[in-house]
Amino acid sequence: MASVAWDPEEGGKVLYVQTHGVADPGRSATPFFLAASAAAMECQVAIYFTMYGPQLLQRDVVDKIGPKGDRGQPLSYFIKQATDLGVRLYVCQPSLDLNDLTIEQLIDGVEMIGGAAFNDLAMTADAVISF
Amino acid sequence: MGEYEPASVLDCEGLQCPLPVVKTAQAMRQLEPGQVLELKATDPGVEPDMKAWASRTGNELLEIRQEQGVYHVFIKKAG
Repeated sequence: MASVAWDPEEGGKVLYVQTHGVADPGRSATPFFLAASAAAMECQVAIYFTMYGPQLLQRDVVDKIGPKGDRGQPLSYFIKQATDLGVRLYVCQPSLDLNDLTIEQLIDGVEMIGGAAFNDLAMTADAVISF
Repeated sequence: MGEYEPASVLDCEGLQCPLPVVKTAQAMRQLEPGQVLELKATDPGVEPDMKAWASRTGNELLEIRQEQGVYHVFIKKAG
């Protein structure tokens, strides 16, 4: 497994934590908005998906849900906005198991980490923001 | 409004947070140091957002003015 540590040379470091899944679409997109804003501020940014969060990253879900239902952009739009700016997406194995998912069911680019790597990212970040 | 002679004008009227910030960051990458970008936006958060963005990235916020509900933000790329 590759190292996931922050680059010590680069600006601010912000870690978002998303715990909500498909049952609450209104809570699905905001971590991606804020992560995109932080990345535009030349920060290093990651979002860690745990508890029900990994549900949001399923290939066959991202185009079907959105924060305002049928009245706005799908979740995939907000995910792309963030990842295009370099925001990294992390999940852990127990959270995939909790949701009966495998990494293959998730969109491309999601990286697997564990609890130690998460805690290290949190302790070395400038801010950790949890949803 | 010509005193800054922007090298580029970015129209974000009607776009909501975080798009004005995201598009500004992308547009600034295309400029040379010392060149000025004019951002036009209607999102009411644009003033505090662009102040925070400029402060964080080191680019110089020259002026924000509001005319007929549109914010005009002039930012000079850091050298």
